[in-house]
Amino acid sequence: MARSRSSRRSLAAGSIMFAPYLILLVLFGILPIIQATITSIGPSIVNPAGGLQNFADVVADVRFLPALMNVVVFLLMYVPAMIIVVSLMSLLLDTVQGRWNLPLRLTYIVPASMTGATAVLIWYFMLEPSLSPYRDALHALGITQGNQIWRQGGLAWIFVAMAFFVGAGNWIVVQYGSLQSISEDVLEAARIDGANAWQIGWRIKLPLIRKYLVYMGILVFAAGLQVFVEPQLISGSVYTGIAKDWSLNQLSYDLAFQSNNLAGSAALSLMLLVVCIVAAIVVIFRTDFFEGTGVGKK
Amino acid sequence: MKRLAVALVAVVAVGVALTGCSSGTPASSGKPSILIWADTPRIPQATEYQKEMKGKVDVKIETIAQADAQTKISLANRAKKGWPDIIFGTAADTAVYRDPSNGYAADLTKLVDKKIFDGFGEGNSDCKFDGKYFCLKNDLANTVLWYNTKIFSQLGLTVPTTMQEFADTAMKLKGTGYSAGAYGDQLYYAAFLQSSECPLADLTAANTVRIAPSDPKCTRVAKLIQPLLDAGVIDKRSPFDAGFIKDVAAQGKVAMTIGPSWWGDFVIKPAASWNVPAGETAAANMPTWGTGKDNKSGAYGGGVFTVSSHSKFPQAAADAAVWMTTSDWMATAATTPTFPAYGPANKLWEARISKDAYYTNNVFTAMAAGANNISQVDRPARFPFVAQFGPTMVADINNGKSLSTALDDYAKSIQGLAPQSGYKVETK
Repeated sequence: MARSRSSRRSLAAGSIMFAPYLILLVLFGILPIIQATITSIGPSIVNPAGGLQNFADVVADVRFLPALMNVVVFLLMYVPAMIIVVSLMSLLLDTVQGRWNLPLRLTYIVPASMTGATAVLIWYFMLEPSLSPYRDALHALGITQGNQIWRQGGLAWIFVAMAFFVGAGNWIVVQYGSLQSISEDVLEAARIDGANAWQIGWRIKLPLIRKYLVYMGILVFAAGLQVFVEPQLISGSVYTGIAKDWSLNQLSYDLAFQSNNLAGSAALSLMLLVVCIVAAIVVIFRTDFFEGTGVGKK
Repeated sequence: MKRLAVALVAVVAVGVALTGCSSGTPASSGKPSILIWADTPRIPQATEYQKEMKGKVDVKIETIAQADAQTKISLANRAKKGWPDIIFGTAADTAVYRDPSNGYAADLTKLVDKKIFDGFGEGNSDCKFDGKYFCLKNDLANTVLWYNTKIFSQLGLTVPTTMQEFADTAMKLKGTGYSAGAYGDQLYYAAFLQSSECPLADLTAANTVRIAPSDPKCTRVAKLIQPLLDAGVIDKRSPFDAGFIKDVAAQGKVAMTIGPSWWGDFVIKPAASWNVPAGETAAANMPTWGTGKDNKSGAYGGGVFTVSSHSKFPQAAADAAVWMTTSDWMATAATTPTFPAYGPANKLWEARISKDAYYTNNVFTAMAAGANNISQVDRPARFPFVAQFGPTMVADINNGKSLSTALDDYAKSIQGLAPQSGYKVETK
């Protein structure tokens, strides 16, 4: 027997646990990628010859560069905000051990239940001066008309706010969980050495959960790069057309369903995918994500 | 292990066999069955048709959002199934559907009686592509001048008949607190640019489009309307903007506005909208830009029914489309806010609305005067003509930019998009 019985059993157990994920990954990840690759080099309305020209056509589209700029601005605000605020809040939560801890964690998850159309409606009502419960605050800021807030050029921060409030709560709870895995001995030793709460947080806890922060960073970046729901819903109903083709994913959607240019749409989707994968690989290997144990044993 | 593999294969095989069996529905065994996709205002007439055809045709109805129509048909084309037998949409949708690359729209010239087309007259011109009809026009949404008789008599104003008079009358409202309407959305195009016949989708050849914002018929619009915007007598917000409705329209401060034929029943009257009391609203002819033939109206809306070329029951589908656009029931129902495009149905709608006690005059007269006078310069095109208003023209107007900038930004964007849909662009 090359393998012992127990290692065979653990291999079988591992395979069974991994199988559902693998099946879903193949069905909804790998196969669509293959399909998209085939479609992206196929013929399209503007490019009957097909081939890599489709990628060039998409980049040359008048809507591509503005959408790219919008997404870059969105990411520059969204990713740091998420990482910084989530790290800070989860550290604070970890420090406040007591009877407020559980209610606080529950409170943070509540905004996550308001996604998509619900979030758009809520934000619209909050920011529309004639309907908002905060209209006094808005008027104090000199905002009396909806189009002072909802205007082209000023949309990025609204979408960042929407995406942030939906996502941050979840991540705070997750990072709080990862902070629990830090060994008490390490923290005790730090306290004995005279470290104050700030130093413990900044120099000990954060580096020890670095892996999980990196993991969060990758997912937040990928989600941000593919931002779609918030601009699409605002643009589709409330302020029709205000954020049309605002993000790259919206452009991909319009290419597919408005211009009937599925090749271009597939090309753009693949470009987004490649960026996400490259970013993830770079970050993983630069931070030694899979190396060693970043977390102490209990 | 081997037994497990065999069992797995057996399960999969049975599964495939079952799905294969269920997808094959027996075709013409019994009644024809059709699927209607319509938006919410059209559901009452679709439901009535379903009732009338009970036992003869199995009518299924699904509500869809207007903005999703092209997407859903695109998906159906891709999957090669799932098409509705008839769909409600815009003529621009039909322009996309009848293109060979899409192929959804059926040529109705053979399926629909010539008498019906005669009854439409010019009203169905939006549906004519290369001499063939690919849809049936449900309603005409030509613009008229809606005005408030109470405010007009209070301020001693006379009803304008030309665009210059409209501008002058609007300027008289300066300082009074009254408004000449809000045009910060597609209404700016329909009320002013389209009626002025500014060429923005002028199909000079089958696949050539003229988008010329420097044409005098375009520049005269900004010249006339910009001072009104600067003076604040017309609002830069959309007429559907919550702030505008709350602060201006619902306060009874709109003295006059140019709006389509459905504006009265759908925007001015409803309590949830402008909520103007009864006995104050009237409609007058659309103000003319010039003399003689320079008297066109614009159109804000005006839906069509398109029939599927993939329908298993093409005649039943065509009959349904005909009923939806021409039926007496539709024309007389209180739930039909729109001006039927079909002549005889239109006469019945006239009977209802001319007696409507909400209005102070017979609003039908103004609508009928402009119905066959809608500008034909801009034709339904395959690029997102209406959708591009939002991010360019409307956004600029809402943000206080000048009207000529708004038009230039819009024209530039569609000049860039038209080639993607296979058009050659002329900019002069």
